[in-house]
Amino acid sequence: MKMQIAINPRLRLSPFVMVLLTLMGIAFVVAMIRYIYGIGAISDLSYSYPWGFWISFDLFTGVAIGSGAFVMAATVYIFELKEFQPLLKPSVLTGFLGYIMVVIALLVDLGHPERIWYMMIHWNHTSVLLEIGICVMSYLTVLAIEFSPVVFEGLKWQKAAHFVHKFIMPFVILGVVLSTLHQSSLGSLLLIQPEKLYPLWWTPILPVLFFISAVSIGLAMIIFESSVSSRYFHRGLEIHLLEKLGRAIPVVLVIYLIVRFTQLTLAGDLQYLFNSGLMSILFWAEILLGSVIPLILFSIKKIRQSPNGLLISAIILLVGMILDRFDVSWFAVRHPDPLTYIPSLMQFNAHYIPSLPELSISIGIFSAGILAFGLVAKYLPLFEDEGHHDSAASAD
Amino acid sequence: MTDIQNIKHKAFLYDATRCIDCRACMIACSVENKIPMDKTRIWVAGVGLQGEYPNLDRASMVYHCMHCEEPDCLSACPVGAYSKREDGPVLYNKDVCIGCRYCMNACPFGVPHFDYNKGLIDGAFIDKCTMCTQRIDVGLEPACVATCPTDALMFGERADLIKEAHARIAAHPDRYINHVYGEFENGGTSYLVLSHVPFNELGLPNLPETPVKTVSEEVMGITIPFALTWGAVLTGVTVGVHEYNKRKENAAKQPVEAEKESEETK
Amino acid sequence: MTNILSRRDFLKLGGATAGALAIGEFIPPLVAKAAREAGTLNANGDGYISSMCEMCVWRCGLLAKIEGGRVVKLEGNPDHPHSNGKLCPRGQAGLMNTYDPDRVLTPLVRVGKRGEGLFRKASWDEALGIVAKNMLDIKQKYGPEAMVFSSTHNLSQPLFENLLQAFGSPNYGTQRSLCFNAMTITNIMTYGMEEPNRDYSQVKYIILTGRNLAEAISNSETQDLIHAIDRGVKVVYLDPRFTKTAAKATEWLPIKPGTDLAFHLAMLNVIIGEGLYNHFFVSQYTIGFDEVANSVRQYTPEWASKITEIPADTIRRIAREFAAAAPYALAHNGWRTSNFVNSFQTERAIAILNALVGNWGTTMSPAGAEGAGLGAPTQPAYPRVSALRLDGVPWKYPFVPLQYGVIQQMRDSILAEDPYAAHGWFISRQNPAMSIPDRKKTLEAFAKLDFIVTIDIIMNDTAWFSDVVLPEASYLERYDPLNVVGNRAFIRQPVIEPQGEAKSALWIYKQLGGLLGLSDFFQYKDDEDYIQQELAPLGVSLDEVRKQGYAELPESNSNIYRWSTPSGKIELSSATLDKAGFDGVPKWEEPPAPKPGQFYLLTGKDARQTQFGTQNNQLLHKYDDEPGLWMNTKVASSQGLKDGDMVQVTSDVGQIYVKLIATQAIRPDCVYMTPGFGHLSMGLTTAYGLGSSDSDLHVTYTDPISGGQALSQTFVTVKKA
Repeated sequence: MKMQIAINPRLRLSPFVMVLLTLMGIAFVVAMIRYIYGIGAISDLSYSYPWGFWISFDLFTGVAIGSGAFVMAATVYIFELKEFQPLLKPSVLTGFLGYIMVVIALLVDLGHPERIWYMMIHWNHTSVLLEIGICVMSYLTVLAIEFSPVVFEGLKWQKAAHFVHKFIMPFVILGVVLSTLHQSSLGSLLLIQPEKLYPLWWTPILPVLFFISAVSIGLAMIIFESSVSSRYFHRGLEIHLLEKLGRAIPVVLVIYLIVRFTQLTLAGDLQYLFNSGLMSILFWAEILLGSVIPLILFSIKKIRQSPNGLLISAIILLVGMILDRFDVSWFAVRHPDPLTYIPSLMQFNAHYIPSLPELSISIGIFSAGILAFGLVAKYLPLFEDEGHHDSAASAD
Repeated sequence: MTDIQNIKHKAFLYDATRCIDCRACMIACSVENKIPMDKTRIWVAGVGLQGEYPNLDRASMVYHCMHCEEPDCLSACPVGAYSKREDGPVLYNKDVCIGCRYCMNACPFGVPHFDYNKGLIDGAFIDKCTMCTQRIDVGLEPACVATCPTDALMFGERADLIKEAHARIAAHPDRYINHVYGEFENGGTSYLVLSHVPFNELGLPNLPETPVKTVSEEVMGITIPFALTWGAVLTGVTVGVHEYNKRKENAAKQPVEAEKESEETK
Repeated sequence: MTNILSRRDFLKLGGATAGALAIGEFIPPLVAKAAREAGTLNANGDGYISSMCEMCVWRCGLLAKIEGGRVVKLEGNPDHPHSNGKLCPRGQAGLMNTYDPDRVLTPLVRVGKRGEGLFRKASWDEALGIVAKNMLDIKQKYGPEAMVFSSTHNLSQPLFENLLQAFGSPNYGTQRSLCFNAMTITNIMTYGMEEPNRDYSQVKYIILTGRNLAEAISNSETQDLIHAIDRGVKVVYLDPRFTKTAAKATEWLPIKPGTDLAFHLAMLNVIIGEGLYNHFFVSQYTIGFDEVANSVRQYTPEWASKITEIPADTIRRIAREFAAAAPYALAHNGWRTSNFVNSFQTERAIAILNALVGNWGTTMSPAGAEGAGLGAPTQPAYPRVSALRLDGVPWKYPFVPLQYGVIQQMRDSILAEDPYAAHGWFISRQNPAMSIPDRKKTLEAFAKLDFIVTIDIIMNDTAWFSDVVLPEASYLERYDPLNVVGNRAFIRQPVIEPQGEAKSALWIYKQLGGLLGLSDFFQYKDDEDYIQQELAPLGVSLDEVRKQGYAELPESNSNIYRWSTPSGKIELSSATLDKAGFDGVPKWEEPPAPKPGQFYLLTGKDARQTQFGTQNNQLLHKYDDEPGLWMNTKVASSQGLKDGDMVQVTSDVGQIYVKLIATQAIRPDCVYMTPGFGHLSMGLTTAYGLGSSDSDLHVTYTDPISGGQALSQTFVTVKKA
C-alpha cells in the first residue's frame, strides 16, 4: 500500500493535475486584474452586496468544512478514543489547507490585503470579525503545530516529531477552544444584521447553532474525505471507524433540530415557516438536506455500513449545511440599495449574480487545495497506519 | 450661519414636506468634499412617485450618514477605523481600514460605500458623509444644509432640532406623521426626519430603539469568559479521561506495562 | 495660423480629458488677481469674493469661497435678495461650468464645411479682423440690415444692443418670444410694467397656472413658495403634469392643455357674478370693469368645466376661496402658461383676476426699472434705420417691443428672403440651433447666410455651425455691467482669471466696435472703467463695491398707485388692443386639439438644467434624471409600450427617436419632454448623444399679439421604434 502511494502515477502531470494547474493559473491572472483595477473589475459585488460568493463559499463554507480537524483532535486527544487515530492526520491536513484557502481568498476579497495584519495591532474589541480574524490566524498556527509531526516524520526528524508530540496537549485544547469560538462566531457575524437577515435565520443563538452544525459538518467531512481519498488513492476504507462516526451524527442533528425549532417557537417566528416564499423554500431545503434526511440515513445501520451509503449520506448533509451557510450570509440577507428610487428599500430589489471571474478565484483556490492535499499525500506519511487498520477492518 | 462656538451635539433635521428634490445638496457635497464623478456621499432615496393618475403623491428623502449615537459601523469594524466625535459626526479613518466591508453589512441604513473601482495602487476605501467637519469646525453649516433652497435640511443642536421637529408636528398635525424618525431609532441618530408619508416609503428601515449592534456586542462581551471557561472544562475533561483510562488499564494490565504506557502518553 | 486641424485635433481643443474629469481631480483654480488685490482675502489667501451667478437669469448673489488663494466652492450670498444665502443645483455646479473640459479657449475659425466641426485656432486680432471684414462687406453690399443679431437675456446685452444699433441693423432677436412674451406684454398692457414683483410674505392663497417653481427654480421665489406652503398657505396648481410643484401644492388640477383661459374666465365669472371683488379697489384704480363683466357673463363654471375637464364645483369653490383670501391672494401670472396662441388672453385674465381682488400693495407691487440710477458712458446718437425688421416688429407684430423681437419669425424671413435677404448673423450667448422651433428650418436658414459668428464659452450647437467662434470668459472670470435689485446695484466680478484666451463681452464688443469704426459708442477704457462710470453718480469706488458686492442706491419713494398705462390705471379693458383690432377684454379662443391618435407635446423644466446651456455640465449631468419622453403608464401599455422602450415621435415637421418614460404623472392625452437635450455639437462631449430635441418636433405658431411661440400647440404620434 505504502509503495503504491509513493509511486502513484496520478500525481504526475496527469490530465487532472493539468486541469488543476490551469484553473489556478486563471485564478492568478484574475487576481492580478483585481489588484490592478479593483474588486469591481472582476466581481459583481456592489454597494448593496458588499459580501458575495467569496464570503459565502470561501469563508463560511471553507471554515465549516475545516471543522473535521477540531472534531477529530478532540476525539483522539481529549477523549482518548485512539482507535480514530488514522483519521486524525488527514482531517488536520484538510483543516490546515482549508484555513490557508480561507486566508488566500480573504487576500483577494479584502480591499487592503496588505493590511491584513492590522487585525493584530488595531483591536476593536466589539467586532465579531476581529475575533474571527484573531481565532483563524491563531488556529492556523495551532493546526500547523498539530500537523508538524507528519512533516517531521516525512523528513525523518523523529526527535522533532517526538518533541512536538510531547507538548501537543495544550495546543490541542487551545485549538478546540479557538475552533469553538470562531465556528460559532461566524454565526455571530450576522448578529449585527437583525433587520437585514430574515427572521427564520436571525436569532441571538446563531453562534450556538453554528457550533452544533459545525460538529455535524466536521463528522460528515471526515466520512466524505476518507471515502473520496480511499477511492482516489486506492486506499482501504476505515469503514468500521466511519460507521462509528456515523452513529454520532444523528445525535448531533437531533440536538441541532431541537435547538433550532425551540428557538423559532420561542421567538414566535413559526409564522414564517410556510408563507415566506423563497425564504420558506430555502429554509426547508436546508432543514431537510442538512438535518432530517441525514438524520434518517445515518440512523440506518445498513447504510452506515455501506461505503456508498456513508458517502451519499455525508454529501447530503454537507449540501444542506453549506446551503445554511449560504442562506445566512447571502440568500436570506436583505440588501438595501438606497442609491436609486426603488419601490421599497428593504425588499429584495438589488440583484447580485457572482461573475465568472469571481467564481474562477474560488475555483482556483480550491484547485490549489486539492493539489496540495495530493502532494502531501504523495510525499508525507499521511496514511501511515492504514495497513494495520485495514487488516483489522477486514478481520472484523 | 449658526453659532457653533459652544459645541454640544450637532444634528441634521430633514423635513420631507419641504424638499423639492432639486439635488442642490448633492452637488454642493460633491464640490465641497471633492467627490469623484462616479461617487456620491448623498443621494435621493424613497419611493418617489406613488399612486395612480390623477391620485398621486410624491416624496423623496435626502439620504446620507445618519451619524448614529450608537454607530453600528463603529461596533463592527475589526480595526477600529470608525469613531464618534463628541459633537456628533461619525468619522472614518482610511489609514487603518483593511477593506473588509463589514461596516457596510452592519449599517442598517446602507450608508458606507466602498470604492470597487480602485486597485491596490490607488487604494480602495470606504466613503461616507463626515458632517463636513472642515466646515462645522469653523462655524459653518455642512455644505448640503447651507445651500438647501427650501430649508428642508437644517443643522443645529440635536436637542433644539428635536424640539423644533415636535413643534412643527404640533403646528400642523394634519401634515406630518406624528413621529420624529431618528429621535430614538437605533439608539438615536443625528439625522432627524419629518415626513408626510410613512418613513419606510422614504427608504428608512423600521428599527427598534436598541441599536442593531446590541446582541452582537453582548455576545462579544461573553466571549473571553466563555473561552476561559471552555478551556478549563476541556482541560478537566482531558485530565479526567486520561486518569480514567489509566486507572482502567492499570487494573487490567501488569504494573510494569502500565508504567511504560504512561511514559508513552506523556 | 495655417495649421489645419483634423477632427480629432479639434476635439482636443474642446478638452481631451472629457468624461474623465472629476471635480476632485483638478487642482482648485487660483483666485483672480483683481479680486486678490481688492483686499477681500486674508494673509493666507482665505476669504470670500462676492459676485453674481449666471447659471440662469435669476442672478443670485454668490460668494466664491477662497482657500489658500484658490477657488474651492461657491456659496449663496446672504446679502442678495435673490439667493438669501442659498444656491440651487445649477448655482452649486457653477465651477464645473467654468471648468467644463469642452470650454473654447481660443478664437476659432472654421476650416471644414459648416457643421463638420473642423476649426483652426486663431488670434483675437485675426478672428476679430475676419468678423469685422465680413460685417463691413455685408453692410457695403447689402446694407446694415442684411446683418442680423441675436442674444439672450444677460447683463452685457445693452452693449450688444449698442453694437447692432450703432452698426445700423434693425434686426434683433432674443429668447423672449420663445419664452415669456405673453406674460410681459400682458403686464405692459395691464399694469404698464413688464413684470410686477410678487410678494409671498403675507400671501394666504396662491394659484399657480403652470408655474412649476419647484423644478423651474427661481431661487428666492421657490424659497418663498415653499416657506408659504410651510406656513399653511393654500396653493392651487394647474398643470397637465404632476410635477414636483404639484406634489407640494394643496390642490393639483390636471387641466386640459390650452384651456387655462377658460378656467380663469370662469373664475372671473364667479367673482364678478357673486360680487366677490374689491369694489373700492376696482372703482378707484382700474378702468374697463364693465366691459370685463359683460364679457365674462357667459363663461360659467359649468361652461368651463366641459372645456377644462375640471368640475364646475371645484372652479366655483376656488373662485370663492380666492376672493375670500383677498387681498392676500395671488394668481401667479406664470412665465409661459399653457403655450398656446390663446396664452396672451390667458395672461390677461390672470392679470384681471389679481386686480379684481385688489392685491396690489400686498402680494403684488411695482418692479423697479433695470439700471435706474446708474451712470453710463456718453455716446452719440444711433444712425437712423429705415429698413423694415425681418421679424415683423412692429409692422406685423405691433405690440412686441423692439428689444424683444420675434426670433422664430426672423428665422422664417431669412429662409424666405422676405422682405429682403439677410447675409450675416451675429449671435452672442445664445443657441438658436436648439431653441427655435422646427430645427430643420433653422439649419436651412444658417445655410442661406454668408457669415455666422458666435460668442460663447463652449462649442454650443450654433457655434458648431458658425464661421468664427469667439471665446467668452465665463461668469466667474469676468466683469459685467452692474445689476440693480431693489435699492442695490450688485456686481459680477472675476473670481478666477480667464482661462486661455477667453475675454469678457465688454472687451469683445469694444474691440469689435473699434474695428467697425464705432469707437464712439464704446467710450470706456476697460471693464473696470465701464463699471466706474456706472458708479459715478453714486459716489462709491469700484474697490468698495468689489469688497461689499454691491452699491447702495438712493431710495425711491414713488406712488405705487400710479401705472404707466395710457389711462394711468390698471387697464382691465385695453383700448390699445381694441384699436388694433384685438379683443380689449379676454374672450374665449378655442385652441387647436390633437386628432385621434395624437398627443399634446408638452415641454417644461428640470431643476438641474437651464434651457440649452447646462447639459454639458458634468456635475449637473451626474445628478440629473435621464431625459426621455413621458407618457401616461396606462396609455403606454395600451399601445404596447413600456418604460425604457425606444419610441419614434412624429410631428408635422419632424421626427425623433427617444426613450420612453412611462409614468402616472401625466394626463393620458399628453406626452412631455424636457427641452435642452439632443445636442448637435460634437464639441459638447458630455451632452452629445444625450436625449433628443423637442425643437425637432415643434411647429412654429406665433401669437399675433405677443409674438410668442405657442410651444404646446404641436401634436405628435408615438410608436415603437
